[in-house]
Amino acid sequence: MSRKPRGQLKFNSTLVALLVAGYGVVPFALGANNYIMSMVVAALVIGGVALSWALLGNLGGMISFGHSAFFGVGAYVSALATVKLGVPVFAGLALGGVGAVLASIVMLPVLRLRGPYFALAILAYAHIFRILATEWRSVTGGAGGVAGIPAFPSMLGFDFGTKMGAYLIALTLVLGFAFVYARIRASYFGLALRAMHDSEDATRMVGVNSTMLKAAMLMLSAFMAGVFGAVNAHYINFLEPDYAFNALWVTLPIVAAIFGGYRTISGPVIGALVVYLADQLVFKAVMPTGHQLVLGVLLVVMIVFSPSGLMPSLKPLLKKRTAPHART
Amino acid sequence: MTELILQALYSGLLQGGSYALIALGLALVFGTMKVINLAHGELVLLAAYVAYAVESGLGLGPMFAIPIALVLVCIAALLVCFVISRIQRDREINSLILTYGIGVILTNLILLVWHADVRSTNSTWLQEAFVVGPFYSMRSELIFFGVSIALMMALWWWLSRSWYGRAVRAVASNRDAAKLMGIDPGRTELVSFIVAGMLAAFAGVALYSYGVIQPAYGGALTVKAFIITVLAGIGSIPGVLFGAVLLGVAEALTVTLASSALQELAGMTLFLLVLFVMPNGLFGAAQRRG
Repeated sequence: MSRKPRGQLKFNSTLVALLVAGYGVVPFALGANNYIMSMVVAALVIGGVALSWALLGNLGGMISFGHSAFFGVGAYVSALATVKLGVPVFAGLALGGVGAVLASIVMLPVLRLRGPYFALAILAYAHIFRILATEWRSVTGGAGGVAGIPAFPSMLGFDFGTKMGAYLIALTLVLGFAFVYARIRASYFGLALRAMHDSEDATRMVGVNSTMLKAAMLMLSAFMAGVFGAVNAHYINFLEPDYAFNALWVTLPIVAAIFGGYRTISGPVIGALVVYLADQLVFKAVMPTGHQLVLGVLLVVMIVFSPSGLMPSLKPLLKKRTAPHART
Repeated sequence: MTELILQALYSGLLQGGSYALIALGLALVFGTMKVINLAHGELVLLAAYVAYAVESGLGLGPMFAIPIALVLVCIAALLVCFVISRIQRDREINSLILTYGIGVILTNLILLVWHADVRSTNSTWLQEAFVVGPFYSMRSELIFFGVSIALMMALWWWLSRSWYGRAVRAVASNRDAAKLMGIDPGRTELVSFIVAGMLAAFAGVALYSYGVIQPAYGGALTVKAFIITVLAGIGSIPGVLFGAVLLGVAEALTVTLASSALQELAGMTLFLLVLFVMPNGLFGAAQRRG
């Protein structure tokens, strides 16, 4: 049985168009509008978390309701390192990711669990980390939170502390992680992980250390979510436990990933942009309280009618349109 | 100090009654459908808010809300069951995400209708102190503990003696074999959802009668119910009651000995501990490891 390797990177016209739009068109078209830009940055942050959630779900076969733990730990580690230890902001981002990896190492025993047990055990960890952030006052500042988190600095004559700077950082990180994700999916490990999805026992039989692979996916996913938590912390310059560990940091990425298609790489990010912008610009305007209701409805509708998400169902449409060109 | 600890044990015991009702609902549905209904806590909360609406709107005691809560929560439970049955593939994973979404919907509906404020009962009769020997509790706590025990006995009778109760157990233990014996699994799932909804309705009214409620509380209730089923294992009513009391006592002791902020931590730690040390629960034999 021969399978075409999925996720191989082809520098085709679509990718180039995407890069041009991301780095060229969007900054020039929307750059002047601070309100829209701040929305786009937030959407990219959520897109990053959605990507990390989807990586765990797609490659690792694990559904997590506890990604707010990684997001929050990453945010806190980076914020405290920069505020209290004077670490440079960009090093702080990496430290945030490392902090989230350490948090995921504490969670490794949950890999023995399956399905709902795994999902809720991770949720339990998220609660524990939130309580720790609230109660460990001497380090985290307790419920009062951490104020005055430094913004992104100026580099090479460009001030990254602006909305535009945050946008470029978030976009670059999202694309960078998407690249890593695609490389893993196309590699030997990706093949093994896909085989595990079909039958974990059979994959173990042919000599794949499935537990180690799953652990690696959990740690990578944690790193990504942690980095985006850190980005968000330096972008909004303030943290408190109820914000950093909010369930919203799980709900929004899940909705985004399911909406876009969590088995694709572009799906979660595009899903995050669509869902978050629609939520903030449309639903929030129509119903100021309880607008997350729409997110819940979206989740239910997607699971029932199109569980593989929007991107895979759009693909045949796109292909049909390009087919005549291919023939000529 | 000893008195305080004894008092905490007593409060935990009473709290365990309604916890057990919530957990039994979750376990029943898990038994027949192999689905963890992550919106179960929100169903309980819906009943609690119905009790609030009846008390604040009609001026009646929370007890009178039970019939309305039963109808509304059972309808909501049936809707959840219907939507879950529409899942086409990967039911184990998709049902989690689906019921998570339903939980988000219910939480925000409650938020829209009843606002974000913390609510509790005004009834002085329910809140009056009731002293048994050295132990103190509110009257409502004792009443609803009694109600919970009665309901659990009724449930035990139903599961072991009635046709549908036996069908539920048959489907839970072997779906295919039950089907061959002429039991319709779809209808049995529906029945288990209705019974879970009824238990949730009573538990919700109980929560409102002796505690405080707020829209975001539903998720925590689901987690607690899940913790209890992990402690007890699925499949025995006394086991679930024991797990529920254990959780209630652990929470009450944490509040007494440490601080109320750490209350949730007690349950979570207990949960992870049991999951890792005794992965089949204290009593059960359900398989959880991969």
